[in-house]
Amino acid sequence: MIKDAMNRRQSLKLMGAAGLGTMLSASGLPVFAGGASAGRVVIVGGGFGGATAAKYLKRLSPSLDVTLVEPQPRYITCPFTNLYLGGIRTFETLWHDFTELREKYGVRVVHELAEDVDVDRRRLKLAGGEDVSWDRLLLSPGIDLRWGALEGYDEAAAEKAPHAWKPGEQSRLLRRQLEAMEDGGTFILVAPDNPFRCPPGPYERVSMVANYFKNHKPHSKILILDAKDGFSKQGLFMEGWREHYGDMIEWVGRSNDGGVMRVDADTLEVETEFGTVHKAAVLNVVPPQKAGFIADRAGVIDASGWAPIHARSFESQLVEGIYVIGDATQAAPMPKSGFVASTQAKVTARAIIADLGGDTPPEPSWVNTCYSLIAPEWGISIAGVYEVHDGLIREVPGSGGVSPMEADRSFRRKEAEYARAWYAAITQDVWGTRFAF
Amino acid sequence: MQSIIHFSRVSRLLATFLVGLLHSVHTVAAQQGRPAWERVEAIQTLLNGAVPRPEAVRLDLPSVTQDGSSVLVTAEIDSPMTPDNHVEELYLFALGNPSPELAEIRFTPLAGRASVSTRIRLDRSQTVVALARTSGGDWLSGSRDVRVTVSGCLSRDATYQADDVMQTRVRVPPRFKAGQASDIRTLINHPMETGLRKDAAGQPIPEQIIELFQARLDDAPVLTVRLHRAIAANPYLVFHMAPEQSGELTLSWEEDTGETTVTTAEIRVD
Amino acid sequence: MRLAQMIKWGASMQQSRKRYIIPVGLLVAGLCLSAGVMIAGMTLAEPENEYEAVIGEAAPEGATPFEQRIQMIAMSCAACHGTDGRLQTAIPLLAAQPAAVMRAQLLAFKQDQMPDATVMPRLAKGYTDEELEALADYFSALSRKANPGSAL
Repeated sequence: MIKDAMNRRQSLKLMGAAGLGTMLSASGLPVFAGGASAGRVVIVGGGFGGATAAKYLKRLSPSLDVTLVEPQPRYITCPFTNLYLGGIRTFETLWHDFTELREKYGVRVVHELAEDVDVDRRRLKLAGGEDVSWDRLLLSPGIDLRWGALEGYDEAAAEKAPHAWKPGEQSRLLRRQLEAMEDGGTFILVAPDNPFRCPPGPYERVSMVANYFKNHKPHSKILILDAKDGFSKQGLFMEGWREHYGDMIEWVGRSNDGGVMRVDADTLEVETEFGTVHKAAVLNVVPPQKAGFIADRAGVIDASGWAPIHARSFESQLVEGIYVIGDATQAAPMPKSGFVASTQAKVTARAIIADLGGDTPPEPSWVNTCYSLIAPEWGISIAGVYEVHDGLIREVPGSGGVSPMEADRSFRRKEAEYARAWYAAITQDVWGTRFAF
Repeated sequence: MQSIIHFSRVSRLLATFLVGLLHSVHTVAAQQGRPAWERVEAIQTLLNGAVPRPEAVRLDLPSVTQDGSSVLVTAEIDSPMTPDNHVEELYLFALGNPSPELAEIRFTPLAGRASVSTRIRLDRSQTVVALARTSGGDWLSGSRDVRVTVSGCLSRDATYQADDVMQTRVRVPPRFKAGQASDIRTLINHPMETGLRKDAAGQPIPEQIIELFQARLDDAPVLTVRLHRAIAANPYLVFHMAPEQSGELTLSWEEDTGETTVTTAEIRVD
Repeated sequence: MRLAQMIKWGASMQQSRKRYIIPVGLLVAGLCLSAGVMIAGMTLAEPENEYEAVIGEAAPEGATPFEQRIQMIAMSCAACHGTDGRLQTAIPLLAAQPAAVMRAQLLAFKQDQMPDATVMPRLAKGYTDEELEALADYFSALSRKANPGSAL
């Protein structure tokens, strides 16, 4: 017994020590000498899902030919955008580039828009005219906003009432509006119904805005008009809001007429389901969402607007040979978070390699941890470990959960510190970004 | 009054037959190559030998929902809604709930459109079924499978703020066009206590629900809904009305204790 | 013998609450204990950079499905602990840490016996004891730095 255990431990040690690639030849994967490719994998999207997949595919199987298609030369993360909006982090610290993927891992990174998918010929059409062919296609396209799903809220309206739910110019616009707002104004955030990207995101956002108001515009108010009757980590958020911001933040759920039906971006007014009109000084509308555009072109989304996937591999249920990960998928109970996209990428990288090698991948295991900051030194978290059970994804019974209520200040401070450390770690893991410590 | 008696009878029949027979349904259905719910005897009793026209009731609800405590469902039937040819009754069932009845809706031609939206509770992944009967005696059906997950990022506080119970919200269009259907939204704050929960001391909390909703334009009924305990807290109902002339809309919600709340709204027809 | 003591430490730590002092001593002890295996690991794991390590090494024979699963779980740990658990921030480094200490800590997290823990008890409950122990061994066998010249 003891001897066997030691043998296994030693074997694990050797395995870990030798790095990831060795595992795969051990599991029968083709690692060809002389530069022959073990297969061509094309990835669309350079975010948490796509960039992680590119890196781990190459780490797991270096002879794979991996192409990453991402139009932007640098990726701006959604996580921590709220800290920028609250003025406690610069925008530049949210930028990450693809140098490590290109130079260290030998990923071909193409900065073009993926325009169309030819499923039969297994080719991805780029906006520049090039066709890239694949043996396996991995889509990690994130979200698109459903323009017009909320009456009056289209792309033009977003120039006046920003969503800032896909970071970039929209984030800067919202920050400028908050800076320009007079003390005593009302910031209204319109929160969507499930499912949407980053379930705690709207509530962290108002927390960070409240922190900014408290220090710079203390007479201002914040109103959340919500299409739901409850939200992620609700008890913890409300406890933190009372502690730090008194009655500055008011949350109105759907059953108390929080459901917004119409937006007037010119007057910054919103009208609720039962006809109440609210006027904002700064209006932030987080509209309903769907899977990113290319998922639609590939035919992997259903009537819900999201991509149904096979739980074990995240191969599309609708198109063979195409894998989908991240926010674009129907992977509940896993939330649409950057952390989840990254953990899905790792499991799916393993599944794709097994698929190419005619092999069986290990039993999947995913993990998520979502930190939210309520104040700079007041963090809360939700965590979960996920598995496949009876063909469906579920949280491992007994695992996961949220931070305790009524924890002391040092607990909250520690989770705030871990939130910042998490951001440094995941951006190192995904893009190779190095923050100074 | 008649409609209430009718609903109660149907409801009793369903309660008697449906639950015990659900188990065998899947096997039988697989053998017959027919939808599972068609083999449920209570539904067969309701149909009384009639064969419903499938997919004639459009059921709109999410294929996957992260929150089974409140799932928006819309059921709609294409119908001219004339006195001679309209949908009279619509029944909604959730076959996988502890009790499958969701709601029974009685339309009149004044509704103008055979459509209703509400929010329901779904205990687990299951099939939602709608059956409708027209004034001509035809039966129509529709069904949708729903997967219910509990999101890792959605831990709901199981608290209900009870200080505003029975408060109602109503939205009617500022103007109707004569004979054209427009939608009316309603909501009443109410916990819809199922009778299935226990309090902190382990004692069952008795069932207490809104069980009847009625809409009348002056003296003419528009719509009557019998609600069951699987209607989500804060019962939400959207229906239509196609008035020919202005009048007063009276909406009433009746709790199973007998307590009733009534709201009126002016209806203006151009 | 020393291994047994260390595992006991995991359980007794929450009673003593001298959490900042004891681990340092144990880290040293742990390094001594696993020195032999560590050296074997390091000789395999000190190439010019990570990428060469991946393509340059022979495989251990016959990785079992269990071992493959451990490797897959370990990849997800990187989201907080950096690639291969090599990042040292407020969140601790995992690579090349003493296996016995990490084993004891992971099991203590799972049993709610780690003082001042935050997310780890919630996460550790998602894995079997066997998996947690194997994860400790896996990270322990990794070298501290992928590339001696890099900032990490």
